[in-house]
Amino acid sequence: MQRREFLKTSLVASTVLLGLPLSASQIRQPLDYYKVSKYAFPEKNPLIAHSDRPPLLESPRNVFTSAITSNKDFFVRWHSPKIKTHTFISGYRIAITGEVNEPLYLSLKSLKEDFEPVEITAVLQCGGNSRSAFIPTTSGIQWGSGAMGCAKWKGARLKDVLKQAGLNKDAKWINFNGSDEAAFHKAPRLIRELKIDEIEDDIIIAYEMNGEDLPYLNGYPVRLVVPGWYSDSWIKMLTEIRVTKEYRPLYYMDSAYTVADNETESETPDKPAKKRKPITTMNIKSYIGFPTRDTKIKVNENVTLKGVAFDGGSGIKEVLISADKGKTWKKSTLGKELSKFAFREFEYNFQAKQSGKFTLMAKAVNNLGEEQPFAHQMLWNKGGYKYNGIDSVTFEAVK
Amino acid sequence: MKSIILKTLLVTAVMFSTLNAEYSKPVKVPSITYPLEYDKNFRVMQRNCQWCHSFGYITNQGKQSQEFWRASVVKMRDVYKAPITKADEEAIVEYLFKHYGNGKVK
Repeated sequence: MQRREFLKTSLVASTVLLGLPLSASQIRQPLDYYKVSKYAFPEKNPLIAHSDRPPLLESPRNVFTSAITSNKDFFVRWHSPKIKTHTFISGYRIAITGEVNEPLYLSLKSLKEDFEPVEITAVLQCGGNSRSAFIPTTSGIQWGSGAMGCAKWKGARLKDVLKQAGLNKDAKWINFNGSDEAAFHKAPRLIRELKIDEIEDDIIIAYEMNGEDLPYLNGYPVRLVVPGWYSDSWIKMLTEIRVTKEYRPLYYMDSAYTVADNETESETPDKPAKKRKPITTMNIKSYIGFPTRDTKIKVNENVTLKGVAFDGGSGIKEVLISADKGKTWKKSTLGKELSKFAFREFEYNFQAKQSGKFTLMAKAVNNLGEEQPFAHQMLWNKGGYKYNGIDSVTFEAVK
Repeated sequence: MKSIILKTLLVTAVMFSTLNAEYSKPVKVPSITYPLEYDKNFRVMQRNCQWCHSFGYITNQGKQSQEFWRASVVKMRDVYKAPITKADEEAIVEYLFKHYGNGKVK
């Protein structure tokens, strides 16, 4: 009896996906009916729990009404099952080795005290965020749109740390590795490489998130912060920085987190592109935090839509709202720009003139003039990456 | 004499607790049950898949073709080095496609 009850509630907590006809590829709105789990993970509010091991937690839509995502609401995505559950902090070191004058073993204390602390507000987003929009369904967790968040990250500049180690003249690539481990020794680790000329001043080794230690599940004690880039580059629990002369082939960069290396970054299910490239810069996107599909508003009542918009670093110019399925658009009011890499809040006042279902859409435009496409205009890719279709929320207006 | 021993013990205990405190954030991640369908192949699937991940990876993958599930199982073996035998591969694919399939071979 008890077990049956438990199974029932677990079923609600987990998710059942619709079986859809497998025809030509098409893109829809990402799934938006996931329920928040009844289990709260350490230092977290209850979130949508796609997996407990490794932990995969998605933030529900209502989190995205403000530019800063709280640490408790921030999404979580790990790849490897073995994540250290405690860290001997005074013994924690980041090893900087390879093509350097002298290998450096940086303690957390040294990282905090010997380098100029810098703070940057930036969006962290999984490359597969909103993956559930892609049909045929692509491999990977079928995220809704909550595998993203924006925080104030504080840490030491990567450049300063590399400078202290002193790079040899042949140094060309910087490899980053964390302390999580696969179950089987020979499985690939989530290592990311950056070319030396990709290292900007704002890439930091962060030890604080929104003024606190990083939550354990977000990479405590330190993680790499690469503003404007998808999160596969933001290595968590960073323990190794290895400088090399040549690129080291890597599963996660060469196969896993890749898109087609063509102009539209697209391919078809029966003909995947052979030439591929790692995902890097995020494209423009916006997301409505309120109303949600559960919202009921009163007819003729003044209601304020709220949401967030961001891109890979050019900054948001405007966010447009449509109440007629994209035929006409009106400007929303933007919040303050916290940084060109941060969520930009937007607000829009509206009333429903009659009862029934009501749909609002949001479309962001950036300083380069780029704007979000409609979901149906998007092209398919086999990893289900980089979805940025115009968001749409349908809710109810009642008398 | 006794009190000296006691004191030493106390001091040791205090030192030990500060050392312990340096193991900051001992974390216990909750264990969630992702209920799955049960049949004759369940245990074969469980034995092979649970090394690395929860069943959420199965239930949150969407309804998929037989070819998709086979490719996933092969990827687990070839890329992630899970020691899945050929016989187990057949049973796992059969299981996944039967319960989490979209009815299509390809």
